[in-house]
Amino acid sequence: MTASQVTLLLLLFPASGAILLAGRGWRLPRIVTAIVGPGVVWASFVLTLVLFSNQVKGDFTYWTWIKSGSFEVPFNLLVDNLSIFMCLVITGVGGLIVSYSVGYMEHEDGPSYARFFTYMDVFIFSMLLLVLAGNFVFLIVGWALVGLSSYLLIGFWYQRRSAVLAARKAFVMNVIGDVGMILGAFILFMSYHAVTYAGVFGVINHCRGALLCLGPGDTPELELAAFLLLVGAVAKSAQIPLHTWLPDAMEGPTPVSALIHAATMVTAGVYLVGRMHPIYDVAVYAHGAVAIIGAVTALFAATIALVQTDIKRVLAYSTMSQIGYMFLAVGIGAYAVGFFHLLAHAFFKALLFMAAGNVIHAMHDEQDMRKYGGLLRQLPRTGGAFLIGSLALVGVIPLVGFFSKEQILGAAFSRGDPLALSVWVIGAATALITGFYTGRMWWMSFAGKPAPERPVEHPHEAPAIMLVPVLILAGLTVVGGFIQTRALGIGPSVVSDYLASAVGHMNWEENAGAVVAGLVTMVLSTLLFFAAYRFYVERTWQTWSANLPWAQRLLERKYYFDEIYDGAFVRPMDAIATWGAKDVEGPVLDGAVAGTGHLAVAAARGLSLTQSGYFRNYVLVFVGGAVVAAVLLLIRSA
Amino acid sequence: MSDMTLGGSHLDASWFLILSAILFTLGAVGVLVRRNPLVILICIELMLNAVNLTLVTFSRQLGNLEGQLFTLMSITVAAAEAVVGLAILVDIFHTRDVEDIDELSEMKG
Repeated sequence: MTASQVTLLLLLFPASGAILLAGRGWRLPRIVTAIVGPGVVWASFVLTLVLFSNQVKGDFTYWTWIKSGSFEVPFNLLVDNLSIFMCLVITGVGGLIVSYSVGYMEHEDGPSYARFFTYMDVFIFSMLLLVLAGNFVFLIVGWALVGLSSYLLIGFWYQRRSAVLAARKAFVMNVIGDVGMILGAFILFMSYHAVTYAGVFGVINHCRGALLCLGPGDTPELELAAFLLLVGAVAKSAQIPLHTWLPDAMEGPTPVSALIHAATMVTAGVYLVGRMHPIYDVAVYAHGAVAIIGAVTALFAATIALVQTDIKRVLAYSTMSQIGYMFLAVGIGAYAVGFFHLLAHAFFKALLFMAAGNVIHAMHDEQDMRKYGGLLRQLPRTGGAFLIGSLALVGVIPLVGFFSKEQILGAAFSRGDPLALSVWVIGAATALITGFYTGRMWWMSFAGKPAPERPVEHPHEAPAIMLVPVLILAGLTVVGGFIQTRALGIGPSVVSDYLASAVGHMNWEENAGAVVAGLVTMVLSTLLFFAAYRFYVERTWQTWSANLPWAQRLLERKYYFDEIYDGAFVRPMDAIATWGAKDVEGPVLDGAVAGTGHLAVAAARGLSLTQSGYFRNYVLVFVGGAVVAAVLLLIRSA
Repeated sequence: MSDMTLGGSHLDASWFLILSAILFTLGAVGVLVRRNPLVILICIELMLNAVNLTLVTFSRQLGNLEGQLFTLMSITVAAAEAVVGLAILVDIFHTRDVEDIDELSEMKG
């Protein structure tokens, strides 16, 4: 089998699984659903491994999708080290999470069970299409399809009003991003007359080679396109200001939060900036905006996470914060480092979400951390895995989170210009806050005495199908960091070397100061992790928020973003819609439609007077007409 | 209009045309004002024959036989038309006694 056929098959496995489950799933026995759902993802994982081990590279064109004059859209898939890397994350972590769902969704009835795996397979297919697409049109198709599957999965429990509202919010926010993407791709097509990556990037690289577009102002159309693509990336990755959907998306089942809203889909924005790096290398303003948005979101989300009480919402805000780090990395031009953090985050955040899922399962769907307490003794494996994930999130050496996060901060520190230094300051501050809120989450849930209002007295550890994926990810979190230890200034850099052919090298050196700064940050945030024990378990220290009630309120209200958007967009739109329904639709639109009907009836009534039914009248008209015609002829000939 | 020789004496062709016009007008007015279906049918025949007369006149004057052939055609059609029309009338008279054609105006719009 050729490489192009393997690549196509990689896409077709999840698609066929979704089609089978959608068409026959409700009639199939549950065991078949439980095998087909994760099975097709694992099949894709094996095919990805085949491509990976054979070091396949290529731009495979399968057929021409649209051809109209000079506008030609091929269906082509781009296989390079970046797309293989993303496929490995999607199918590998995705396979673990979909397998975990087999246990987590056990309580659903047959049709819902099959529906869940249908949506999951649709998502895997869409995400693979997104990262494998070789042109902007199919990139947007995949981009919109992951938004759709996210919508379907957030609203999976459609009987719950809050889930439906959250799904709608996510969809609307994502469509704002889709519009940005489409406009950006349109501008690129108008400027470079190509929709394939090869075509567009070829022109840009040629332009750079000829020293025509090097700095700001040389290519305003590229800046505009880069900003519009950034709108898409920001919406999909839940960065400020299009971030409000992600915390609400926690209404979906926990495996969905792990797969879509932590490990894969929300990192699509990072993939986009990395894939578009020839554009962002030229469009310096847009590139700087990526770094600033990332840094601000990282800090902003981390502060909100300080006061959340719902365990999944803490994780959601920490996801926003960590994706902020990735944006920061790709925004300063350290693309490969950003992707290393993407990989690390996929490991430890999927681990955290699935471990949280085990806790929620054991607590009979209670998600409020204040009602947990002392769970480590009863859920030792989940608690231990959760601790590993938490420490990786904090960035404790030698877990994978330390190496990836500190390398991002080190890259920013080493670049040394004002922009990089300011995002480094924000990033380092965020790392400290991360240590504190992660500590708060872990200690509140697993340490101390059981809370008096805990719903389950003697919780049970999760079954094997839900425990094994968590433990596998815990293992990966522990050992994953050793493939790239550049944060310490020594050792291998496997991910960066692998991705260098797709996204290039960093064009500056990391200096020793960055290593020292990284170790200091790590030590401080670890201390804060343990300080949280004093605050929230022993309560020997008074909670900081007791002294700052206004700050607590500001954070609990999430900086009033929802209220501001409600006032600025939702209510005016509601008012316009209500006015339109009352004063425009009735009198104007209905009036026009009904008026056309009335006019036709009146005209017909008038004309029907001529149909007397008397033979004489008809003859008279006929003769009269003949006479008139004769007279006219006479006048003309005269 | 040139002269025409008819039985040794000369007659202007316009006389024939005037006669034809008078006959046609009589027929048309008859169709319009009379109400007896049978009379209306007769008036239609009168109009047809007025036209035939015109055709023959021009045929003779232009020395061209087409007009006369057309007249024969027209007479044939008129005969057929009379047969159909009379048959319809006979059928109507079978079912009811109609003196006024206005009584047959049932298909009002």
